[in-house]
Amino acid sequence: MIEVTHFTKRYGDFVAVDDLTLSIGAGEVFGFIGPNGAGKSTTIRFLATLLRPTSGEGKVAGKSVTKDPMGVRRVIGYMPDDFGVYDGMKVWEFLDFFAVAYEIPRTYRKKIIGQVLELLDLTHKRDDYVNGLSKGMKQRLCLAKTLVHDPPVLILDEPASGLDPRARLEMKALLNELRGMGKTILVSSHILSELADFCTSIGVIERGKLLAAGSIADITRQLRQHRVLKVRVIDDSAERAASILRDEENVKTVEVFDQTLTAEFHGHEDDLARLLGRLISAGIGVHSFSEDDLSLEEVFMMITKGIVN
Amino acid sequence: MILRDNPVLIRELLVNLRSPRAFLLQFVYVAFLGVMVYFAWPATEGQVSSGAAQRLFDLFFLGQFFLVALVAPTFAAGSITGEKERKTYEMLLASPLTPTSILVGKLLSSLTYLIILIVSSLPLIILCFLLGGILLSEIARAYLILILAAGTFGLLSLACSSYFGRTSSALVVSYLVILPLAILCVILTRTNDTVLRDFVSIAVLPPWCLTIWAVVVIALNRRLLRPPDVGSEGKEVVDEEQEMKYAIGVVIDRDLFPDKLFAPAKRTDLMPDGTNPVLDKELRSEIFSQGTLMLRVVIQVSMILSIPLMAVLLFLRPENAAYYVSYVLTFNMLVGPVFSAGSITQERERQTLNLLLTTLLRPGKIVFAKLIAALRVSTVLTFLLTEQLFLAYILIPELRDRWWTLIIYLAIIATTCLATSTIGLFCSAISRKTSVAMILTYMTLLFLFVGPVGLRWYLQGFAGGISEDRLSAFTVTSPFSSAFSIPMKSSQYSTNEQTTGSLVMRLIPGINLPVWAVFLLGYPPFCLILFGCTYVAFRYRWWRAGGT
Repeated sequence: MIEVTHFTKRYGDFVAVDDLTLSIGAGEVFGFIGPNGAGKSTTIRFLATLLRPTSGEGKVAGKSVTKDPMGVRRVIGYMPDDFGVYDGMKVWEFLDFFAVAYEIPRTYRKKIIGQVLELLDLTHKRDDYVNGLSKGMKQRLCLAKTLVHDPPVLILDEPASGLDPRARLEMKALLNELRGMGKTILVSSHILSELADFCTSIGVIERGKLLAAGSIADITRQLRQHRVLKVRVIDDSAERAASILRDEENVKTVEVFDQTLTAEFHGHEDDLARLLGRLISAGIGVHSFSEDDLSLEEVFMMITKGIVN
Repeated sequence: MILRDNPVLIRELLVNLRSPRAFLLQFVYVAFLGVMVYFAWPATEGQVSSGAAQRLFDLFFLGQFFLVALVAPTFAAGSITGEKERKTYEMLLASPLTPTSILVGKLLSSLTYLIILIVSSLPLIILCFLLGGILLSEIARAYLILILAAGTFGLLSLACSSYFGRTSSALVVSYLVILPLAILCVILTRTNDTVLRDFVSIAVLPPWCLTIWAVVVIALNRRLLRPPDVGSEGKEVVDEEQEMKYAIGVVIDRDLFPDKLFAPAKRTDLMPDGTNPVLDKELRSEIFSQGTLMLRVVIQVSMILSIPLMAVLLFLRPENAAYYVSYVLTFNMLVGPVFSAGSITQERERQTLNLLLTTLLRPGKIVFAKLIAALRVSTVLTFLLTEQLFLAYILIPELRDRWWTLIIYLAIIATTCLATSTIGLFCSAISRKTSVAMILTYMTLLFLFVGPVGLRWYLQGFAGGISEDRLSAFTVTSPFSSAFSIPMKSSQYSTNEQTTGSLVMRLIPGINLPVWAVFLLGYPPFCLILFGCTYVAFRYRWWRAGGT
């Protein structure tokens, strides 16, 4: 549904996005993750036909972003990360404005506006002025605006940023509902856990480069090569255990804190079993020997580590 | 604290004065004045005409006075609203800075550049002094008036800036407050009675200006100390009905004529199919989004001003009708750009442009709607002032006999409305910020409308050098000279060929067209071309590329 091939955007010497290629299938919910300034918004603005690429091409629903922007605009609903609202307009007028701008005939408009207001739980705000709405309400209103023309693809740039925890949960529930409606969603965030629950796949971007992309399970599997090992020993054998671990070829770093050793381990499960055997045969009292489960934040940190440091 | 370590002042001065643009502009300004002096300079001692230096000096003074009246508000009116728009207003107020140091910082920073420009013209004026015919005291007097005017206009604009939420509203109200003061000041200091002139400039203006300064500073101090508009940063929802209840003077009722011409009532139901949503939004929602205060002030001030002008220029001396028309034209020149010069840049500044650009609206539709909305509001407001013209033409036989001149006057006013809106929109399409677009628009209008009149006056100084036809040809871009090219004194028109000769230009050999005809024929195609340029600029700068 969304294809980006070799997209590069330069501002003078600064490379905002460097040779990004990515593909999102129909019905997928793709989480685009990266720290602030990584190039998420640049990619999203490119897909929303708002940015001319330095090179590369993008396609949404088979339509070229650069050659057929009108076609793309017809099939996407775009929500910018930062947006304003028109002053002096009521909620229904705001939606009517965009519905007319999307060329929806009057007979359908009444129904559609009622539906999106219902979906986003804004019906009671119908006659309120948009500039008087709270941030969370405005965010929902903007999402309502992206839905008036019922686009199959939604491109949402940080839809939950700046919202309180409750509004965040509501936004999540909304996105889940939209996923249930079969929409292809590209959603960006700098907080991974925010996306983890409902994304079918994620892409991690930093400094303009796509570091990893695929389903969350896939990415975690790739990272299985980089296990974090936690070993707890009894009495004062911690230093001895550390030297054994350091001897091991598969172990990269070892940190000792009191009686707990944390090691970065690159290898398979049988290597782990062998390592445990070595520790025990060396007479070290192993109290526990376990692999740390990677949280999504840690996955993210690991992917971006080399570059962040 | 107020002057030396004032962070507001230092920051603004750094930002404004260290840019290469500031140096370039000053260079261009001084070079331009230098060229004027150079050409007016007599080749040999014998040729000095006594009036040449005086004329040059007058031109310098009036030109700079215009500059002050026009530029001081553009800088000052945006200084507090700019903080509100950038959402830094509350941070500033919450800082330990005293209101006075904020005020002084804002005022001086908006006026410093202007004062630098004025002072840099001093050496050239001194050169004119060497030509003879001007007293040194007269030069000192002129500069005193200019500095006083800059301070007064700047402070008044600052006051407007503090009262309004948007730069455009603050700017238009500042202009309207300043306009009568500027006219009064010019009249009082340009009379031929030297005693009166000196009396006014030394004994009347300075104390009055200082009084205005004191009152405004006290009011502003109070406002900054206990700001009523903090918390919402001027973004509160304005309830029209509530506001109408407490409105003083004119009340705008969107259901009644003529108010509904520029502010049609809000819709109660969905738009019909085929409506241009941008146009609908501009006219029905955006116009009153900041409340009706700005429009009410504009209408009231312009009306109040028009009454004495009507009495003097239309009823007592009907042959001066062109002066009244000039007032209407000046009003449009000041107010017109406010509705157009911000129309594209504001979408960007309020971050609604991206929402608009990703819809299926074509760039032509957007730009056209913006033009029509701006044109409609500015034209209706301007034509409210033509009621007095109609009245005079009906009541005064002298004018009634020349009824056709009314049609030409109205045509000139309408064409000017078109020109100000189109130029404003064009500047809005090529600028990134509303303030830049505004200044660019006013500079363009000054160049097209007022510049030629000044140039003509300057060139007349070269006695016999250039024929009247040629001189008129310079002024075809100015609606003011077009208005004055319409013959009003019937006796003069028929008997004195000399005078009418100056009102005609030979565009094509053999065909004489009066200046007003060239003006009326020339501007519509010019505006069409400019609209085309606006479309292209918008399409390729925003719609297609979405900015960078």
